[in-house]
Amino acid sequence: MSLWILLAAALAVAIVVVVALPFLREPAPVSDTLHELDPAERRLLEAEEARDRALAALQELEADHRAKRISDEDYRAVVGSLRRDAAEALRALDRLGRGGTSDAEAKID
Amino acid sequence: MIALSVAAVLAVFLLYTSLAGGGTPSVSPSELATKTGEVALAGRVVGTPTGDPHGAGMRFVLVDIHQPGHRVTVLYTGSVPDMFRRGRDLVVTGTQRADGVFVSKPGTMITKCPSKYQAADTPA
Amino acid sequence: MAEFGRAALLLTFGLAAYALVGGGYAAWRGRRRLAHSARNALIASFFSTLVAALVLVAGFLRDDFSLAYVAGHSSRALPTPYKLSAFWGGQEGSLLLWLLVLTGYSALAVWLARKRARDLVVWVTPVLAGIALGFTWLLVAVSSPFDVIAAPADGSGLNPSLQNPYMVVHPVALYLGYVGLAVPFAFAMGALLSGRTDERWIVATRRWTIVAWTALGIGQLLGAHWAYVEVGWGGYYAWDPVENAALMPWLAATAFLHSVMIQEKRGMLRVWNVTLVSLAFCLSLFGTFLTRSGVVTSIHSFTKSSIGPWFLGFIVVAVVFAVGMIWLRLPQLRTTAKLESLVSREAAFLYNNLLLVALCLTILWGTAWPMVSEAVRGETMVVGRPYFDFFLRIFGLPLLLLMGIGPLVAWRRASLRGLTRTFAWPAAVALATGVVLIALGAGSSTPGLVAYTFSAFVLATIVHEFARGTSARRALTGEPVPTAFGRLIGRNRRRYGGYVVHASIVLLAIGIAGSSAYDSVTEGRLTRGQSLSVGGYTLTYRSLGEREAANATEVRALLDVRRGGKDLGTIQAGKNAYSVEQQVSNEVGIRTDYLTGEDLFVIAEQVDDNGAVFFRIFVKPLVNLIWLAGLVFLLGSVITLWPDAREERRLATREARAGARSDTPATT
Repeated sequence: MSLWILLAAALAVAIVVVVALPFLREPAPVSDTLHELDPAERRLLEAEEARDRALAALQELEADHRAKRISDEDYRAVVGSLRRDAAEALRALDRLGRGGTSDAEAKID
Repeated sequence: MIALSVAAVLAVFLLYTSLAGGGTPSVSPSELATKTGEVALAGRVVGTPTGDPHGAGMRFVLVDIHQPGHRVTVLYTGSVPDMFRRGRDLVVTGTQRADGVFVSKPGTMITKCPSKYQAADTPA
Repeated sequence: MAEFGRAALLLTFGLAAYALVGGGYAAWRGRRRLAHSARNALIASFFSTLVAALVLVAGFLRDDFSLAYVAGHSSRALPTPYKLSAFWGGQEGSLLLWLLVLTGYSALAVWLARKRARDLVVWVTPVLAGIALGFTWLLVAVSSPFDVIAAPADGSGLNPSLQNPYMVVHPVALYLGYVGLAVPFAFAMGALLSGRTDERWIVATRRWTIVAWTALGIGQLLGAHWAYVEVGWGGYYAWDPVENAALMPWLAATAFLHSVMIQEKRGMLRVWNVTLVSLAFCLSLFGTFLTRSGVVTSIHSFTKSSIGPWFLGFIVVAVVFAVGMIWLRLPQLRTTAKLESLVSREAAFLYNNLLLVALCLTILWGTAWPMVSEAVRGETMVVGRPYFDFFLRIFGLPLLLLMGIGPLVAWRRASLRGLTRTFAWPAAVALATGVVLIALGAGSSTPGLVAYTFSAFVLATIVHEFARGTSARRALTGEPVPTAFGRLIGRNRRRYGGYVVHASIVLLAIGIAGSSAYDSVTEGRLTRGQSLSVGGYTLTYRSLGEREAANATEVRALLDVRRGGKDLGTIQAGKNAYSVEQQVSNEVGIRTDYLTGEDLFVIAEQVDDNGAVFFRIFVKPLVNLIWLAGLVFLLGSVITLWPDAREERRLATREARAGARSDTPATT
């Protein structure tokens, strides 16, 4: 009976320690603010996502065309707009200060 | 376009339910007298069943699950689920005959899983 | 010992409450240490729940009948594996299992995502904690597994229908599925709460969703197999509310799996996706509610059940919260990307979604109809098989066809000429198959024939895809066929894993069509020496035997089987009478023909005193394809889930470049 009480108490203590750990480790931190993405960083992330999406779509189109899933005419109909999207995404990233790499540009050509 | 599809789905659905009649009423033994036609009778088995469900028919008595009072004799033919025994709750579909006996549609007995998720209330 | 278990659950309660309130405050006000502390609390809640679970397991293994729950679901004579599975044999234990899986998943989710999706995790923590709090409340205040009684000499035993290997695994698999849907839900809510309404929550939870969805699917197949071999009424799915309870979230999750691909590729359907994942999770709560409270069979038993009203309350809270958050963030969710063509892969996925959700909602309506009709009309109406079968065909058959069309249509827009060229060959195969099948007599069932033809179409497209991909790869690299094949799958795991999963669904469809549209049945009373014939088989009743096993008396009738003049051996069917539980169970005899996938299914319905037996005999063509489909399904899921090192690196680099720094204080 008393063994169980001891175990319960030990468990409770361990839990309190685990929960209080961040406060125990840094009793007086320089800053307690949660780092959140500021608008600039957020725009950058979204621009990178847009670029990845555009490049992936282009790659998939090429792969589909090579595997003959898409006919030549379907390919020609869509590839233009996909290339435009990708170029635009790269330009947007450029403006934000991070360029697309040279091989990303080569992918468009 | 989505709105159109939703409308189409709804149309199919409403068409079907209006044609199929929207299900069978589920009644307890005390409510049986008020209904005509085919119903799903839900009740608890009391007493000992007699007869052969694969022959002339098995007779047993059902009472209301929550207020045992009104009794109905059921004549059942067809497969009998494993769970069937005195004290179990079940549903059987059929119609009530003029002499008060509830005649089932063959094979329509469904027993409820007892004590699976609740504490066993009927002792073994 | 019971007190220790109860204490552990109280600790879980405290931790969940802290993680909810503290975590919520930390996310709102941006407090780093508090957020970290809340995350620790959520992870710790798993360990305290684990302690409680282990206490209950110990209770079962030690035959500690002072625990009311152990006394109610176990007995001394019960074999050990079933003493373990008795854990989830009743309401309190299954709630504890739910909580264990939830806290386990929560701990893992916030731990794995702590660097990758930091601004989401701070909100995910309180959401998951809130769900855990709800279940812990039930376990602590309403339905405790640690209630104590004066210990009886022996327990009441476990329901015999639960005493088989399937019932050991099936509930666990289902729970891994049901509860798993809480993680994508929490991430979706996290995305809405944090205002990050882009695709990151989807990328973070893609694998979680697939794992939950796979577990739910396998769990259902296990349940169906159990119904088939153990309950033995001759079928595997009865559209019972408890069965539908698992099917509905699975259908919603399937729709969700597909529509997130559209969001990933085109950035569209954001509102639809958060709505869908909320629907899937709420259905999973509803499913747990249905199986726990027995509400559907009678509204009266609803008020008798202790947890019914609470569960309904949770579902209402979840629905209101989800709808509220979606409403709030509606402006940020809307995008400018539009559907460019009704003939495109996006459109195909959209049709797939509409069909799946329509099927899901019609099943929901049919399952809830007894409750609704009682409340509205004062009389409980029950809906039967024909309703569900009808809608399964109306929505399911087009879905089957779509599985073959969708993967081969181009994104954005596809030309009809291109389509005719792509589908010419598979369509020809399908038509040829249809003609052959009609010649073989399959015209007796139109839905069956349609299902077979569509299945042939889809299989043809899948085979074509694998062949084409392999030869395209070989054209580039000159690899031998097996290597090219393997590398093809390895480089495109999502696509080809998806094809394997589609193939498994096709197998499922063929198995279902064969065993329900083309089965045969006969019944009759036989004395020794008499025979019955069905589906080409002739069975002769030879003898009756009785045997005493560990906790049951086994009665078996022996029959000879012949087909087309050939002796196929014997088959046994009968009943088991369980002494402690005072119950009889049906033990069916099944003879599987592995060449044709056909089953000969014998039920000994009734054994008369004079030794005559009333038999009911089925012949079910192709039914074993259903179980095979389960294995293929698992294989396909594993392929899709397999981590792709390059993809992981790319995502990690993207995160790093966007400036998500570590938890150490910013230098400002």
